[in-house]
Amino acid sequence: MAPSVLYHCPCLSTSSVPPPPHLPSSSYSFHPLNTLFFCEECDAVRCNQCVSVEVSSYYCPNCLFEVPSASVRAEKNRCARNCFMCPNCRNTLAAVPADPPESSDGRISGSVNEGPYILYCNHCRWDSVEIGITFEKPTGLAAQLQKFEDSAPDSLEFDRLKEHFDAFLRQSALAASTTAAASAALARDIPGVGKYNPLARSTNNRGYGKDKSVNRDEMTEYRSRSEISQAAGGGELDVELMNGLEEVDEVASLDQRWESSWVSSMQTKDLKPIRIPLHSKRSKRCPACTHILIKPEQKSQSVRYKIKLVASNYLPGIVVVLPHVRQAKEELLKRNLGKSVSAQAEEPSVGMVAGRSYEFQLNLTNPLYDPIEVRLSVQRVHVSTAPAKEGVSPEKAKRPPFAISLPTTKFPISPFAEAWEYEDDEDMFGVEDDELGIGPTSATVKTTKDKDGRARPKTVGVLERKANKTVVGGEIVIGKEAQGSVKFNMLVSYTYRSDDPAPSESGDMDGHNARAPEIKTFSFYTVVDLGPIIPREEVKLDL
Amino acid sequence: MPPIRDKFTIHSKAVVCQDVELKGDITIGAGTIVHPKATIFAIAGPIVIGSGCIIEEATIIVNRRKEVMRIGDENLFEVGCRVECPSIGDFNTVSARSRVHHTVRISNHCVIGVGCLVVPIEDEVLDDFTVVYGPSAERRKWSGRGKVQEMDLRRKHAEYLREMIPKFNRLRRGDGV
Repeated sequence: MAPSVLYHCPCLSTSSVPPPPHLPSSSYSFHPLNTLFFCEECDAVRCNQCVSVEVSSYYCPNCLFEVPSASVRAEKNRCARNCFMCPNCRNTLAAVPADPPESSDGRISGSVNEGPYILYCNHCRWDSVEIGITFEKPTGLAAQLQKFEDSAPDSLEFDRLKEHFDAFLRQSALAASTTAAASAALARDIPGVGKYNPLARSTNNRGYGKDKSVNRDEMTEYRSRSEISQAAGGGELDVELMNGLEEVDEVASLDQRWESSWVSSMQTKDLKPIRIPLHSKRSKRCPACTHILIKPEQKSQSVRYKIKLVASNYLPGIVVVLPHVRQAKEELLKRNLGKSVSAQAEEPSVGMVAGRSYEFQLNLTNPLYDPIEVRLSVQRVHVSTAPAKEGVSPEKAKRPPFAISLPTTKFPISPFAEAWEYEDDEDMFGVEDDELGIGPTSATVKTTKDKDGRARPKTVGVLERKANKTVVGGEIVIGKEAQGSVKFNMLVSYTYRSDDPAPSESGDMDGHNARAPEIKTFSFYTVVDLGPIIPREEVKLDL
Repeated sequence: MPPIRDKFTIHSKAVVCQDVELKGDITIGAGTIVHPKATIFAIAGPIVIGSGCIIEEATIIVNRRKEVMRIGDENLFEVGCRVECPSIGDFNTVSARSRVHHTVRISNHCVIGVGCLVVPIEDEVLDDFTVVYGPSAERRKWSGRGKVQEMDLRRKHAEYLREMIPKFNRLRRGDGV
C-alpha cells in the first residue's frame, strides 16, 4: 500500500487530540484531504460525517430536467417525462418508431418514421413490444403509461394506506390545533422538516392492533388490499415456475427485480420498464455555525459550485514518499518493459524491513496566497500499560516500535501564485533564511547537525523548496522485532500573515486592530502511514 | 513457416485508406470502407470481406488458421475491436473494444456489445439475432424488431463515409504486390 497522509477531523469532539493510530477504531476520524471541508467562521476542519446535508435540487439523470421540489413528491421521485429504464440491462430506453410492415417485395417502404412507437434499448435490444406496450406518439410517454402504473398493486395499496391514515390524522389534528398550525408553519419555512405530529409518535406506526394510549389515539384496524401470502411472487407459484423452467434466463435476476418497491413476478418476461429515479444535488453546512460549506449550482448540467469551501484551499497538502521504494519501483518498471504480465507478478515486494532505518520525504504544498511557516511535531504515543490478557497471543506490542525524527524548527513555504509569476529559479523562493541557507537551485546537500551531533548529508530537514512546495526529509528507525504498519500522528501547525479583518476571532490574534495584518495560527493533526513492515526473518518468529 | 505473400484483391468501389496495415491474402468486396489505422492480418490463411462492411480505426482482424476467414456483407466493426472468428455472417455489429475469439462463429444480425469479451473455450456458434451485452457478456435473443431501420441506417452510414473519407484521407489504389 502506498504511503499516505490522512487528516484528522475532530468531528465536534471536545478533545482535539486524535486517537492513537494503531487502534483499529481510530480510522474513522482520519480522512484524505480531498474529502474535507473548512469552515471559515469556526476556523475548523469539517468532514463528511459531521456536516449537515440538505437537498439543493432534484434532476433527472437522463434528460437533465430540473424538477421543482413540489412535483417531486407528486411524481414519486421519478422523472415525469419520457425517461425509462430498461428492465433488462438498466440502460435508458429510447422511443423509436416501430418497424413499418414489410411490403411484398421486401423493400423498405417510405414511411419509416411514423407508426406506433415503442421503447427500445440500444444496449441489449430489449423492446417494449415484448410486454405489449406501444405508444401513439413519442412524447408524453409517462402520461400514456399512467393508467398502467395507477393500477399496479403497489400504488393501489399505497393509496389505501393514505386514505386510512388521512382520516385518522385529520381527526387527531383537530384535537391539537395549536401545534398543528405551528408545525405547518415550520414545515413551510424549512424544507425537509415533516409535519410534527405529537400524537403520531404514540401510535403504532402500522396502525395494527390496540393502542395503549388515550382514547383518541385509537385507530381502526387496517386491512390491506391483498393478503401477503397470496400476493404475486410467493410460495406455490414460485415452485411451479421453477419446476417448469427451461432456461436459467427465464428467471429475473435480483438486480432486475429489486428496482421496484413491490414484490413482482420472477419471470424475465414480466419485467416492466421503470421510470428513471431522480437524483439530487446536495448542499452541506457546518454543524456548529450553519454556514454553507458547499453549494452547487442550480443548473443540472453544470458541475461547478457557487460556494466551495474545501479544506485543500486552506490546509497545506502533504504527500509522503519513501525514496527507496520509489527508486525500486522505477527499476522494476524498466526491467519489466519487455516482460509479460505473468512474469511481473512474481517480483519481490519492496518495503521497509524491520531493524533498519529509512528516510522518508514529506512534500508540503501551500494553497494560500500568503507565505506560511510550518512546524511539524510527532505526537508521542503512550504504550498501553494494561496487562495483557491470558490467552491472547503475545504479539510483541500492539504498536510496532519505531522512532521518528523530523525537523523541529519552523520552515516557511512560499505562497501560491500562477505559474507565469515564477520567472526563474531565484523567484521561486521566499524569504531567505539564514538558518537554512538555501541555495538557488534544487536539492541542497548541506551538512547539518542532527541529533547525534555528527555532520553528514542532510536527510532530516528541509530538502528542497520550489514554487509553493517544500520537501522536508525525516527519518524512521524501525525496531528489530517490529510488525504491522508504521503509522504515527503528526501535529502540523502553521502561521500566516493575513490581511483580513477578523475581529471576532480570539486567542489567535496578536492584539492588533482589525485593519493591520495579523498573524494567525492554525494547527491540525494528521496520521502518516508509511506502509507495512516486512519482518526481518521468518525463522526468528517461530518461537 | 513460409513467408507471408501479400495478395490484395480490392474492389474498385471499396474505399481503403492508405494507412491500413494489410498482410497476406485479402479480398475486399464492393462498397466496403476501411478507415485508416485498421489492421487486417491474414497470417496463416486468406481473409475474404464482403460488400458494404465498415471497418473502423484500430480494429484488428486476424486470421491465424489455415482455412479461409469469411466475413459477410454490411457488418460494422467499431473502433478498437479485435476479431478472429473464422466466419461472420451479414449485418452484424461488433462494438467498440470488444473481442471475439477464433472459437466463435457468428451468424447474421448479431450484436456484440461494447467491451464484451466473447472468448469461449470450446467452439461455439452464435445464432442469428444474438445480442451479447454487459460486462459479463450475457446473451439474449433479439426479436429482430427494428432491424429494417438498422439496415437502413447502416447503408446510410456507409454511403456517407464513402463520400467523406476520400476527401480527407489518401486512398490505397490497386492491388498489392
